[in-house]
Amino acid sequence: MLLVNNLSFFRNGIKIFEGKNLSLFEKQIIQIKGKNGVGKTTFIEVILNLLEPKTGEIFWEGKNIKKNIFKFYDQSTFIMDKNTSTRELTVIENINFWKGLSNSQLSDDVIILLLKTFNIGKYYNTKVMYLSSGETKKLELLRLIIEQKKLWVLDEPYNHLDEFSIGILNQTFIDHINNGGMIIFASHFNPNINNLKTLDFG
Amino acid sequence: MILFKKLILFFKRESKLFYSNIVDLFSNILFFFLSVFVFVFALGTDEYLLKTIGVGVIWSLLLLSSTLNLRKFYESDFENGILTIIHMGGFSLELIVILKIFSHFIFVQIPFLISLPIAGLFFNLPMHDVYILFLTFIIGSLILSCLGSISASMNLLNRTNYSIGSIIVLLFSIPLIIFSVGINNVDNSFNSLINMLFGICLIFLGISPWASAACIKLAIRNK
Repeated sequence: MLLVNNLSFFRNGIKIFEGKNLSLFEKQIIQIKGKNGVGKTTFIEVILNLLEPKTGEIFWEGKNIKKNIFKFYDQSTFIMDKNTSTRELTVIENINFWKGLSNSQLSDDVIILLLKTFNIGKYYNTKVMYLSSGETKKLELLRLIIEQKKLWVLDEPYNHLDEFSIGILNQTFIDHINNGGMIIFASHFNPNINNLKTLDFG
Repeated sequence: MILFKKLILFFKRESKLFYSNIVDLFSNILFFFLSVFVFVFALGTDEYLLKTIGVGVIWSLLLLSSTLNLRKFYESDFENGILTIIHMGGFSLELIVILKIFSHFIFVQIPFLISLPIAGLFFNLPMHDVYILFLTFIIGSLILSCLGSISASMNLLNRTNYSIGSIIVLLFSIPLIIFSVGINNVDNSFNSLINMLFGICLIFLGISPWASAACIKLAIRNK
């Protein structure tokens, strides 16, 4: 479980957010909501210890994440609002790199099936730079399933997606929660998911 | 064992990236040869003059052409966020820097070794000088990779002035030039100078991972 206690962040002396609390248990999904510029992305980056908070602490399974950061990283997937796939490499090369990095044991058949589900199966051996922005985003979201981690942290996952893909993504979220996972995502989109908790940033 | 697998994975990715960007290396080497030509044509046909200044000129041109492509060292990986993902995959930033330095050394600097004897031919260098050039460049290029890592990671903090990166490299490579060209002027016993060069190399190998990792950390925070 993830606990965030009295978190605040200042950038160049300007307050981004202050006094934020959050508790995320297994089988829960939380949406961080708010207008542009209220610090949704910053909040997510602070949670992942990429930015240093001014006050507050973050606990993962009862321990401060600063002391065992790699244990925390070992169980979390971070999907940014930019595409981390390398443009000069092919789709399958990117997938194999992510797979090795997260030490996952997913078989090749499953990966081909996944690519086909997202309608990008024909790009198996194509360089990522020839994919459209929606297709690149779908490839990025495949990382959720490839890495097989417990905690999913997503920043604006619905950008660039068509309605069909949004449906698949929502179903993936629901399946992950039912399997005992945890999800936290930032978006101003209102997805159709039951039991969705929201953290409002105003 | 898992870490070892991940290291191999990292080098595999670097080599694939290198092969897809191989034109960059060719253009670097072309720049080096063209600048050698420019020097040879500008100095005229005095054989003795070319022979005396040859090693110094070749070393300076190697230095300049190795600063050409430094922007690519971290920038693309940093821009698309894969650096963060690699970090979350269990690599500390310092380890990433060390791996990057060695892959830069293997994939960018080593190919330059082939061009050295050819460049030596244009300056009419004796075989002994080419051998020393070889020896100094193997050690010196590792120093250049370290310096490149430092300046490229500093450039992540500063997006407006790219030439400052080359200035940093040139500034710190003055001792490198002094010792590697100085070897040529010593007649027989160049062991002490090689040791000196090796010492500089070890200093930079020690400093640059921490310096670069600190810069990358700052760049992630200031973004």
